[in-house]
Amino acid sequence: MNRRSFLRGAACAVSLSRVSRLRAFDAQGSTAASPGFRFSDVTSAAGISFQHNSGAYGGKLLPETLGSGCAFLDYDRDGWQDILLINGMDWPGHKRQRSTLRLYHNNRNGTFTDVTSRAGLDLEMYGMGVAVGDYDNDGFPDILITCVGQNRLFHNTGKGRFVDVTNASGLGRHLAFSTSALWFDYDRDGFLDLFVCNYVKWSPERDVFCSLDGKHKSYCTPEAYRGETCWLFHNRGNGTFEDVTASSGIFDSSSKSLGVAMLDNDGDGWIDILVANDTQPNKLYRNQRNGTFKDAAVEAGLAFSTEGRARAGMGVDVADFTNSGHLGAAITNFDNEMIGLYDFDGKNYADIASQAGVGLPSKNTLGFGCIFLDANLDGWLDLAVANGHIDETVRNIRGNVGYAQPPQLFLNNGNRGFHDVAAELDAGFDHPKVGRGLAYADFDRDGDLDLLLTTNNGPAYLYRNDQLAENRSIRFRLLGTKSNRDAIGATVRIVAGGMKQSRMLKSGSSYLSQSELPVTFGLGKMDRVASAVIQWPSGRIEEGKNLAAGCSYECVEGKGISPQDGF
Amino acid sequence: MLVGVARMHLAKRSPTLGLLVGLIITLAAVVAYSAYITWQIKGLRQMQSGLIDRNRKDSLQLLRIQNDLNLLAVAMRDMIDNDEPYPLTAWSAQFQRIRTDLDDAMRLEAALAPMSRTREQSAELSSSLAQFWNAADRVFALADEGNQKEAREQIQLSLQARQAALGTTVSRLLVQNSENESEAAQRIVQIYDRVQLQVYLFLGATLIAILLTGFSMIRWNRRLFAQISELSKRRSELAQKLIATQESTLRYISRELHDEFGQILTAIGSMIGRAGMHAPEGSPLRGELQEVREIAQETLDRVRSLSQALHPVMLDEAGILATIDWYLPTMERQSGIAISYEKQGMPFEVSGTAAVHIYRVLQESLNNVARHAHAKQAWVRLQFLSATLELEVEDHGVGFGTKPAKQGIGLVAMRERAELLGAQIVFSTPVEGGTRIHLSVPRASLEPGEKEKD
Repeated sequence: MNRRSFLRGAACAVSLSRVSRLRAFDAQGSTAASPGFRFSDVTSAAGISFQHNSGAYGGKLLPETLGSGCAFLDYDRDGWQDILLINGMDWPGHKRQRSTLRLYHNNRNGTFTDVTSRAGLDLEMYGMGVAVGDYDNDGFPDILITCVGQNRLFHNTGKGRFVDVTNASGLGRHLAFSTSALWFDYDRDGFLDLFVCNYVKWSPERDVFCSLDGKHKSYCTPEAYRGETCWLFHNRGNGTFEDVTASSGIFDSSSKSLGVAMLDNDGDGWIDILVANDTQPNKLYRNQRNGTFKDAAVEAGLAFSTEGRARAGMGVDVADFTNSGHLGAAITNFDNEMIGLYDFDGKNYADIASQAGVGLPSKNTLGFGCIFLDANLDGWLDLAVANGHIDETVRNIRGNVGYAQPPQLFLNNGNRGFHDVAAELDAGFDHPKVGRGLAYADFDRDGDLDLLLTTNNGPAYLYRNDQLAENRSIRFRLLGTKSNRDAIGATVRIVAGGMKQSRMLKSGSSYLSQSELPVTFGLGKMDRVASAVIQWPSGRIEEGKNLAAGCSYECVEGKGISPQDGF
Repeated sequence: MLVGVARMHLAKRSPTLGLLVGLIITLAAVVAYSAYITWQIKGLRQMQSGLIDRNRKDSLQLLRIQNDLNLLAVAMRDMIDNDEPYPLTAWSAQFQRIRTDLDDAMRLEAALAPMSRTREQSAELSSSLAQFWNAADRVFALADEGNQKEAREQIQLSLQARQAALGTTVSRLLVQNSENESEAAQRIVQIYDRVQLQVYLFLGATLIAILLTGFSMIRWNRRLFAQISELSKRRSELAQKLIATQESTLRYISRELHDEFGQILTAIGSMIGRAGMHAPEGSPLRGELQEVREIAQETLDRVRSLSQALHPVMLDEAGILATIDWYLPTMERQSGIAISYEKQGMPFEVSGTAAVHIYRVLQESLNNVARHAHAKQAWVRLQFLSATLELEVEDHGVGFGTKPAKQGIGLVAMRERAELLGAQIVFSTPVEGGTRIHLSVPRASLEPGEKEKD
């Protein structure tokens, strides 16, 4: 450890004691039943004013029910997470308003400034999802917006502006109903490749008339439409992409994909892909290390429900929620289908939702966004879920299921057991919403994870996490050199107080959304981490020892781990 | 003699044999019925697992095959539509996935195929599928060589037709399975009907058997209770007669001793006294006569004492209270036990017969204390209440606890006397240990003029 590192470590300790005092002050106001933290709705206070436009005019067009997503990203690389909110637009011939995506710059004081126009993103498109990744390794995150129609790739100039490079990059002339997407380096060449989910073969011209009463049009279920293959684009490393969907074995014309997550299912260092399909079997594309993938979802136990039925998969996330070193998965499904919570034993997945206490509470909810995050910083990954139905009249048909539904936050008890504490988090977190996208980030850099939730045809919500139990955390910000610069696909494993935890630095996950790239570990009351091992996408392994809690560490591939001043 | 006759009567008419026969018939019916039901259930189970379950599992695999065939149909439709920007070879992975699942489903289905499946049917399915994959391989080979158009034509001409034929075959097998299942369901219904009938018959027979046995039991119980009651009554009468005879005998002996032997001894004493007056003073004869006179007096005292013990004359002449007042100090002297005597209430007249029984209970109780209790003290309480006379004898000795099993004749006699009085007698153990005997006699039983038992 050099002198600078030492001084930064000392600053870390000071920061920790300051945070502890603040938390102690906050804790005085907490109630006995508090789960140890709360989510405060700071949307307005933070200056976020967003209204999603689904374009609904009465035509009951399928895409209206599904949007849209959101992302936390540090587009200006100032160390503070900014916010990107995806928007739809009015349908052609039914123009009423102008609606664009919104980029909010983090003012580093808990507030944000709308910089959409300044950033060149004041554009109309029927946006669905977002994936953030520095595909050209220039140090600035670029943005892919999935759309109904043509997806859009925006290159970050590094000067606060984005440039649409869709056609120049080779992603043009791919029209579809795209949903979630993620960046990952499947061939380990150091450049991020792109995986895009497509839902069904739909366009306004191909719209099918569906009706509940035989007279009035209603939203169709996906069975009414043919599936659409997902896409895999290989990054040539020169700013252009090659469509390798067919040659990689990803092609599947029956898929109706909504969510995608990356994982290293077999621990071989080559990233695999888990796709949540709606009314079709989920797919686990196992990386064959030769540029091709093979679907292994059926053998792994992820394709169907325990009854052998293909469920309506929506959002998906993958994480080591059992602290076993194995990546489990959560897939949100339609109401009456329960969330699928898959525990991985190193060989196969088993749906433990019912035993774990997640099944029954999700029986009457339609889940979309889902993310594993350590909300109470106790060292165990919890599960947050955004819920909301697609049918406004659902209550007329199923009395116990509403259109707007409360989000859920399942706290992990460390023994493969969860319980929903959403109602105990104050600030109306559990007020019913037509939830869709969900992402997390530590936007206020206090060491805990805040939430961003979008709703269909409604506002977006920013929830600040306020810790009351004085739990500590440690964060890692990774920069690849040989690996892709974002280090997407890297795994960080820590040992603290005998407890082992691991996180994968990932793009995608949830539903149409992307969370921040830095990884956060909750440490409970522990103030040190005995060791932190980073496995880079290139295969390189680096280790740091005896790290103080209460701050971030910057890890540059090949250059070690160095503490930062605070989080 | 009467008891003996009753026993003979009972032995002659014992219900045991009849009940045993009834029990054996019932058990045999249960065993037969159980065997029948077990046999039927076994048949049902065999039908369930061997036919219906297997059929259902087979149908599931056929549905899986049909689903895979439908997926192939959809994929082929997409391939022919040619609205994807990908060459036909893009579908090869999709076909391969379906093929893997189809092969697995075919393997499982072959193992589950019902007995009714003919060898020709199985062979037809396998060969149709093999032909389909051969055709598919040719299509992808053509596509790989760049002959997209020809490949699409082959899909339309060959592949889709084979897929349709396969679909028809699988549908036919599904229908066959469905028919098998319907047939099995019909047979199950028949079995259930038979079992239901048997259940009703068995229940009816069991009900009749229970009713007959029940009535028989009731009849025999009534007879037994009547006989027991008769025996009890006779035993009680016998005991009362025995006690009455005993009391009468004792009273007679007591009077004889007191009156006859007393007078004789008194006379002997007077005569010896007078004879002694004739002997010279200081002569040995006078001294011997004096000695004989003293012996006669001593014998007289003993005879009187024995007479009192057998039946205190005092009881007839002075009543129960005076007798107790006399008896307790005597008992104290004879046994060496300190007796505390409490008397409460306004004494009322007690008839002679009742007094004898009360006195005998007291006497027996104190005799038990002296003989068995190893106690140094005893308490006697006599209470004249408005409706009853209460007598209580208590000691803090060893009590009944040390000799629980054997009940002496004295206790039996006490119970019988209590019964003769229409009284209640309770044997209990005081907190301090020992024995408490409590006799509660209704006043009505004590009134003079009450039926003299002896």
